[in-house]
Amino acid sequence: MNASDSDEDSYNERTALVPSENPAIPSYTPDSDLDPPVDTPSKRSGVSRRAGPVAVDGGGGGGSDQEADADDEELTLKYGAKHVIMLFIPVTLCMVVVVATIKSVGFYTEKTDQQLIYTPFTENTASVGRRLLNSVLNTIIMISVIVVMTIFLVVLYKYRCYKFIHGWLILSSLMLLFWFSFMYLGEVFKTYNLAVDYPTVGVIIWNFGAVGMICIHWKGPLQLQQAYLILISALMALVFIKYLPEWSAWVILGAISVYDLVAVLSPKGPLRMLVETAQERNEPIFPALIYSSAMMWTVGMASPADAQRSGQETDEEAEQSSRGAEPENRQPRSFTEDDLEEDRGVKLGLGDFIFYSVLVGKAAATGGDWNTTLACFVAILIGLCLTLLLLAIFKKALPALPISITFGLVFYFSTDFLVQPFMDNLADHQFYI
Amino acid sequence: MNLERLPNEEKLSLCRKYYLGGFAFLPFLWLVNVVWFFKEAFVKPDYTEQMQIKTYVKRSALGLLLWVTVLTTWITIFQRFRAEWGEVGDYLSFTIPLGIP
Repeated sequence: MNASDSDEDSYNERTALVPSENPAIPSYTPDSDLDPPVDTPSKRSGVSRRAGPVAVDGGGGGGSDQEADADDEELTLKYGAKHVIMLFIPVTLCMVVVVATIKSVGFYTEKTDQQLIYTPFTENTASVGRRLLNSVLNTIIMISVIVVMTIFLVVLYKYRCYKFIHGWLILSSLMLLFWFSFMYLGEVFKTYNLAVDYPTVGVIIWNFGAVGMICIHWKGPLQLQQAYLILISALMALVFIKYLPEWSAWVILGAISVYDLVAVLSPKGPLRMLVETAQERNEPIFPALIYSSAMMWTVGMASPADAQRSGQETDEEAEQSSRGAEPENRQPRSFTEDDLEEDRGVKLGLGDFIFYSVLVGKAAATGGDWNTTLACFVAILIGLCLTLLLLAIFKKALPALPISITFGLVFYFSTDFLVQPFMDNLADHQFYI
Repeated sequence: MNLERLPNEEKLSLCRKYYLGGFAFLPFLWLVNVVWFFKEAFVKPDYTEQMQIKTYVKRSALGLLLWVTVLTTWITIFQRFRAEWGEVGDYLSFTIPLGIP
């Protein structure tokens, strides 16, 4: 099956870890009358409250200079620990879904000669050298496709072709939600040897897909939206696991972490430009690209920055509607202090979910046994922890792939080639350590 | 989307849209409506729009129940009689189990 372009591009801009911004309040000075009062109580009072606005962004951070640095550090850590957990759960869930599918449904591990058009070179070659060359060539093609798509998307975004991007994203999520889940359901039924009829399947897929579109692109309960994003990441990861040839997959994983690093951190990197443009315009980044771990709410103030804070439905249209909704929601200064406790959460790009799951899924599919899978899983979580720590320190968008994928790859290869035989030998000789 | 922060008119409008959307063969949407707005409709202290939200939630629950009954009946019939229907059964089947029935 040839996956369409619309899948490929959409994860390019997904591989970024973005702090939920408290945007565009320029450096805070406590004497300034311009400061929205919402910041004042939040900065003076409770420690936990400050964890939100202060620790996350540059603008608010400027103001905290006023306060003791010790407080600042403590807050940064508080922010880090809670948000780490908030991201662990979805990442774990996604990986669990992928590993469970790989282990039970044979379809996704069946050898197939069909490959994506992005990886035209086959790996069924005679010599090792040739195979290595082919996988490197596949990687180069794949990465170039991703780079081109990302640049294209950034250019579109810069020139405000929102309708085009919006249509592209809708098409892409339509395909994921309907076609891939249809395939997935079919395979699950075949694995468990169930007879299912077309009307029932039709109803199930129609419901799943339609509610998914509504939740992701319009308004829906937060948990449901998060669940759908996790599911589509898992589906996408499964497609990659099936259709990427062995060695190419590992080389691609390595290459894409390098690309992620470059794209997010270097000044002219496309992902960085995307995030910065979005922040300049005070718009949230598109829906269906970013997983947001908490509901952000506009603490109603006169700052135009409120537009960005309004929540995880980061759709262009939803954005208009949420911006439209804000004037009514705004109850200036009458918010009790409790309202200000709204957690801003951390956002993780869906591409990160996908590639983490690809790594763990491949480890489950081709690795020795559960040791390898678990090792990769732990490695990725450790990497995620470290990335979030860095995020709390640097307070700007960071690539989430490099650290985790590096750890994951290291752990996979070392476990598969070193630890596994070691453990097997020990067990063979009944030698317990 | 946090319901807490929406003004009541918007909650009503959202509930209504979910209710109407469910008529497009989307019992899942009705389920989401019921679960999501349950607290709003029955647990929260009264406010103006609550009566209408209550009606929508009740009707969504009713529609959901209807759909569940219909689907369960159909699935039971299909599973029981599929083999006996011969060609029609195969025609209707998305997946056909292998092996001896």
